[in-house]
Amino acid sequence: MANHTHAVKDRHSTSFDIHEVLHDLKHYLPSQTPLKDFIHHNSLHAFQELDFYSAIFKSSKIFGHQATFNVGEYRNLYKTGRIRIEILDKAIQDRKGIDGLPLWKERVLKQQYDSSFTPRIGQLRRFWKEAYHIDLDNLVQPLLFRILCSYLDQGIAIEHFPFENEGLLTAIRKLETNSFSSFFKTKRAKALLFDPTCTIESLLKMVVGDASFYTQYIFDQQFTHRGWSGMVSAIEDNPHSILYPKKISLEELLHFELLLELDNLDDQLGTNWTPLSSKVNVAPMDLFADVANTELEEVLKIWQDAFEWSYYDEVLAGVRYLSENPTTNSVQLPKSFQAIFCIDERECSLRRHVESSDTTSETYGCPGFFGVEFFFQPENGKFYEKLCPAPVTPQFLIKEYGVTEKHKHDLLYTKKTHTFLQGFLLSLSMGVWAVLRLFSNIFKPKMSPAISDAFSHMNMYGQLQVENKNPNDIENGLQLGFTVDQMVVRVEGLLRGIGLINDFAPLVYVVAHGSSSANNPHHGAHDCGACSGRPGATNARVFAFMANHPKVRAILSEKGLHIPDETQFVGAMHDTASDDIGYYDEDLLSVVNKLSHQQHKATFENALDLNAKERSRRFASIDTMKDIRKIRAAIRQRSVSMFEPRPELGHGTNALCFVGNRSLTKGLFLDRRAFMNSYDYRTDLDGKLLLNVMKPLPPVCGGINLEYYFSRIDNQKLGAGTKLPHNVMGLIGVSNSSDGDLRPGLPLQMIEVHDPVRLLILVEHYPEVVLNTIKVLPELYEWFANEWVHLLAIHPETNEFYFFKNGAFQVYNPIKKQVNVANDLQKLIESANEMKTNHIIDATKENLSIHVIQNNADRQ
Amino acid sequence: MSYLLQYFILIPLIGFLFILFPSNKQEKFIFWTTIITISAHLLGTIAFIVFWGNNGFPVLFAKGPVLYAAETSEFSIDFYFDKVSAVYLLVSGILTFLVSIFSRYYMHREKGFKRFFNNLLFFFAGINVIVVSGNFETLFIGWEIIGITSFFLIAFYRDRYLPVKNALKVVSLYRLADIFLLLGIWLCHHVFEKSITFFDLYDLQAHHIDIIQQRSFQLVIPGVFLVVALIKSAQFPFSSWLPRAMEGPTTSSAIFYGSLSVHMGAFLLLRTYPFWEHNLIFKIVVIAFGLTTSLVATSISMVQSSVKTQIAYSSIAQIGIIFIEIALGFEYLALIHFAGNAFLRTYQLLVSPSVLNYLIHEQFFNFIPPQHTENNSFWGKLKVSLYILSIKEWNLDAMMYKFLWQPIKKVGNWFSFISARSIAFAFGPIYLLGLFFVYNKALVPTSIILYLPGLFAGLGLVMALRAFVERKNAMTAWLLIIMNQLFTSLSVAFNEQFDFEQIHIYLSGTIVAGLVGYLCLQRLKGEQESISLERFHGHSYERPRLTLLFMIASMGLSGFPISPTFIGEDLILGHIHHNQYLLTGLTALSLILDGLATFRIYARVFLGPNTKGYHEVAYRSS
Repeated sequence: MANHTHAVKDRHSTSFDIHEVLHDLKHYLPSQTPLKDFIHHNSLHAFQELDFYSAIFKSSKIFGHQATFNVGEYRNLYKTGRIRIEILDKAIQDRKGIDGLPLWKERVLKQQYDSSFTPRIGQLRRFWKEAYHIDLDNLVQPLLFRILCSYLDQGIAIEHFPFENEGLLTAIRKLETNSFSSFFKTKRAKALLFDPTCTIESLLKMVVGDASFYTQYIFDQQFTHRGWSGMVSAIEDNPHSILYPKKISLEELLHFELLLELDNLDDQLGTNWTPLSSKVNVAPMDLFADVANTELEEVLKIWQDAFEWSYYDEVLAGVRYLSENPTTNSVQLPKSFQAIFCIDERECSLRRHVESSDTTSETYGCPGFFGVEFFFQPENGKFYEKLCPAPVTPQFLIKEYGVTEKHKHDLLYTKKTHTFLQGFLLSLSMGVWAVLRLFSNIFKPKMSPAISDAFSHMNMYGQLQVENKNPNDIENGLQLGFTVDQMVVRVEGLLRGIGLINDFAPLVYVVAHGSSSANNPHHGAHDCGACSGRPGATNARVFAFMANHPKVRAILSEKGLHIPDETQFVGAMHDTASDDIGYYDEDLLSVVNKLSHQQHKATFENALDLNAKERSRRFASIDTMKDIRKIRAAIRQRSVSMFEPRPELGHGTNALCFVGNRSLTKGLFLDRRAFMNSYDYRTDLDGKLLLNVMKPLPPVCGGINLEYYFSRIDNQKLGAGTKLPHNVMGLIGVSNSSDGDLRPGLPLQMIEVHDPVRLLILVEHYPEVVLNTIKVLPELYEWFANEWVHLLAIHPETNEFYFFKNGAFQVYNPIKKQVNVANDLQKLIESANEMKTNHIIDATKENLSIHVIQNNADRQ
Repeated sequence: MSYLLQYFILIPLIGFLFILFPSNKQEKFIFWTTIITISAHLLGTIAFIVFWGNNGFPVLFAKGPVLYAAETSEFSIDFYFDKVSAVYLLVSGILTFLVSIFSRYYMHREKGFKRFFNNLLFFFAGINVIVVSGNFETLFIGWEIIGITSFFLIAFYRDRYLPVKNALKVVSLYRLADIFLLLGIWLCHHVFEKSITFFDLYDLQAHHIDIIQQRSFQLVIPGVFLVVALIKSAQFPFSSWLPRAMEGPTTSSAIFYGSLSVHMGAFLLLRTYPFWEHNLIFKIVVIAFGLTTSLVATSISMVQSSVKTQIAYSSIAQIGIIFIEIALGFEYLALIHFAGNAFLRTYQLLVSPSVLNYLIHEQFFNFIPPQHTENNSFWGKLKVSLYILSIKEWNLDAMMYKFLWQPIKKVGNWFSFISARSIAFAFGPIYLLGLFFVYNKALVPTSIILYLPGLFAGLGLVMALRAFVERKNAMTAWLLIIMNQLFTSLSVAFNEQFDFEQIHIYLSGTIVAGLVGYLCLQRLKGEQESISLERFHGHSYERPRLTLLFMIASMGLSGFPISPTFIGEDLILGHIHHNQYLLTGLTALSLILDGLATFRIYARVFLGPNTKGYHEVAYRSS
């Protein structure tokens, strides 16, 4: 990062260096990889070395996107009470001091601001239109996108791109030599394609002219189609993000695009035209030069602070209330069962319902790959799938075997309908069938091979080869399975991390999650982020196997972590869309455990019913007052409905991340907005384990949160827009039109419920320990210091809150003194409002405030 | 039972009227009104067809209300029903029903929820008008309804650049088709010397065998209709508009461009079949177009890497084959093929987002890396050439621009010297002078009168051309369009002993619509908003009501059916004698161009991205 900043600053002091420009360009382009796996990340990762507000306003000035809501929207949020007056006052004082309050309050509430601005990007290339009267983008882009998409295509087209194994430019050269037709309209550009002395620089000389404009021109050009450029760059960096890898580079794209531009310019202007710089009457611009701070931005910062703190303050008031009014929260011994869930905020409500359905049960949270990182190969699968957080590169391979079920096909998806004769016969014969299927899809939706099914990722009844008995068992550089010692490290690491080191119940469920949805190119975004956007069932099962292994247990015992012999771990997976749980290897259970497992299954079913009901309040297709069984069935149906663009709402509304004991939040209604990582400071007073617990939180949870933030704030430029017109391109992305650019980011249907507040991580530990921990890793510290993620320590003894600001922890006392109390959670859910429109003013009303659950009325 | 036919049109129209008024948030009311309407219609259709079948599938004809009648021309809404109508009615009923239900949750919370269902029902009404129409004039009304709803659904996401651009592209071709249809009506009118109905066509062979076998007509009459059918069904060389029309929500793309709308060309071909039933040469022409289309479209479809474009071209290819079937006289096969293709493509489009999951899964388990062999032989080269051509869609999109619009633009630019000022000071007086002499024809020598229609039609065309290329001022363009219509009416007024009533009908439409549009633009100008035509302004973002008003004015000015301008257009063409090809050409071209210019003003000023900085706007390329 440090090197990079340096490079950006020095751009103008040295001469044009294409590799430096490409490096910078890659840094700023969207980094979303092909859609089959969805890994959430900070959409403005390129600006992460700046503090949050400087970054978003700077990026906005350069690329023209929205950075926050507009002043009018904040004022309306204030009028409707979403932003509280006392919080607004505090936000002003925090920034402007008590003296600045009257002046700034006037500005914040009344001052009119002109919000129009011209982004820096595109200011050079606009001269094609203004001085040459040529719409170069319209001339070049449709063909360029089509060629890129056909070249990268993973299986939509019937005819492959000829010579696609040889690299983009080589393939195009071969195409041109082996054909009577051409992509080019004129001779010069075509000749240059084959000219070995032709470089990007020499092309820029012809198209742009003056070298001082080159860098700006390249940025202008590539950002007219940031979707495709970003995709090419991402595939160049991760060739295996597509199953059929293709050699391609941003450099080749640039080269080819310049050739196409030259071709079209020659075609439109003839041979006698002068390069762009000859008609440009402005000086070259450094796109990334510092931007001036404006009063409007100060006002927006205050508003966004107030918007966030109006929520945080309420949360903290609730947490404080719990600590001051301890109920008999702790679970009585003996414990019936324990369940380890993913930290995912969608499991927040399910954990609450499990605990209330069986008060002797106990739940934990940790990142959903359960500390076991590996590649997975399903039986008959031709590829490996990574099942761990994206930055990790595993050394292990887990193979599936013993699967008897055959992979199913759907004839209506055959590509033969696009051919000549078969197309004729099939359109004559399959029409009636298609219409019948449409009837059944609409009136009786059910699972089919075309629907992305979380449980099909790993076969329910297949076997896994988890244990490695011979370290020489290696396939493609990966060790097959884990040795006992490797298992011990992982099991111990996880259990100690979440503080589950004694009082083991006879059954410990390891519950991964995945999501089923139909007709949804973004289905990967609903799966487990800690498993590289895939369902985590395999990890749960692998972890259970390890923790059940007698040799592992023996070594753990020696290390002081004694798991009773009667305790068994069970792998399971929660489908967050259909609200179903599947259990793995049930037949390995002891007779006694089998019996109690049946009871616990009933508990889970009950909890899932309640969870379905809680979720249903946001779904237009389901009446929350209906019989709970019917709601559950309707929820299940949504996940397989072709016509349902919102099978679930993903991470929408996420805002908090708790790291600590469950008692911090047990009894608090958080409305599915909190990631929850179990951690017991008592077992880790010096914070040795804390680093490993906290390290993944900003990139994973913060990444999710920021992607939602930006897709919500500017769904058009940073998000993917509404998904209804999306057209699947090459199986790698979506675009809007046949000629449109790829649309990275999240679609509208996923973010409408989201309140764009930054993630607040709350850690239960001594502030000095937390501070020391985050300072260990500079890249971890950066997240907090630059305020991309907020951090708050909860002092375990005094229960005092310490908010991290300007490098230090400062005491924070909630302004709100009263808490909302819910005597009946079901009533609260039933009476919740449904948003009238998805504009933030209406949408935010759907989010319920923090409630203390007074009794256990949500028990069924 | 033929009197029942009108209800096929009335039912959807009533439903449409009902859902014009609720707000966008009243999703339940909008949806249920739509679905009750369509269900009632579908049940009615089924009952009607059963009943009709019981009576032995008779061909039905009913005379409807007469909108305008004079000695030589009559404009009435007539109904006609046969097997072709039955199949089209049933297929469109089923598909509209299913797609409406599909759209209920699909479209939930969309800003254009209401707009979508409004357009869907209006479109459905339009389809019904076409399918049960008894004469070309009635059919034309349905045709225009489909055209206008298509425009609105392609530009559904009206604050993005590409949808609006593509909507204009498509509607330009549609306008071309519409005017060809009007020409067809004009030809029939003159050749058969009356407004002919489809019932007349039914026994055309018996009564007018001499006319349709007359050399000059045997290619021209069906040829004009063939052009209309080729455009509407995206056949060669007009194919490239279809994939570009898929800009709206997937459901609307499915029903419009995957199935119903594109098959209307085939319907027209079936309807006009009696014109060329025994015309071998023409049959060969149709087969040639059908075959070329299906070969070209298949080759394009096979290299497509985007799923909706792939389906679009497959659908086009099948419609090409349907054209061949019609030409070969296999009416039943064509109808079955139509139904099968419409159902299949609708389904494929509706589930098109799921191919990502399905095909990746297939790839994961079945992928075999393809073998690459270099083949330098002639055939190898031919294959590669075909690949490149197909990727470029055989240059069809570029050709439309190059051979169709660019020449017009070039000619239009000759007249760029005409400014708002010269309209006021030169062309205004010329017009007034002309007007004076129309009422005082006696003052003009007969030898001169002979040339006046052509002169004024020419001046009108100049106005239209100038409006078409106006790139700066929306107001100037708008005035030019009005001037074009004034001159056109003048030319007709000099053409024969004319009936002032007819011209007044025409002008009342022009003047009212022109004035309303003028005031809308004036209001924007008054509020310091830019109305230049150099770029899109997207004023609909802030002024949806004004947008609606201007849209109605535009429809009026461009002669949308039922507007007086339209009836006027029909009548005016009726006043041109069948041997006045030049006058017809000038007038038709004027009509095409002023329609295009009108839509362009609407799109540029009111649609597209609104770039005021305080709200989200998509990048141009997305």
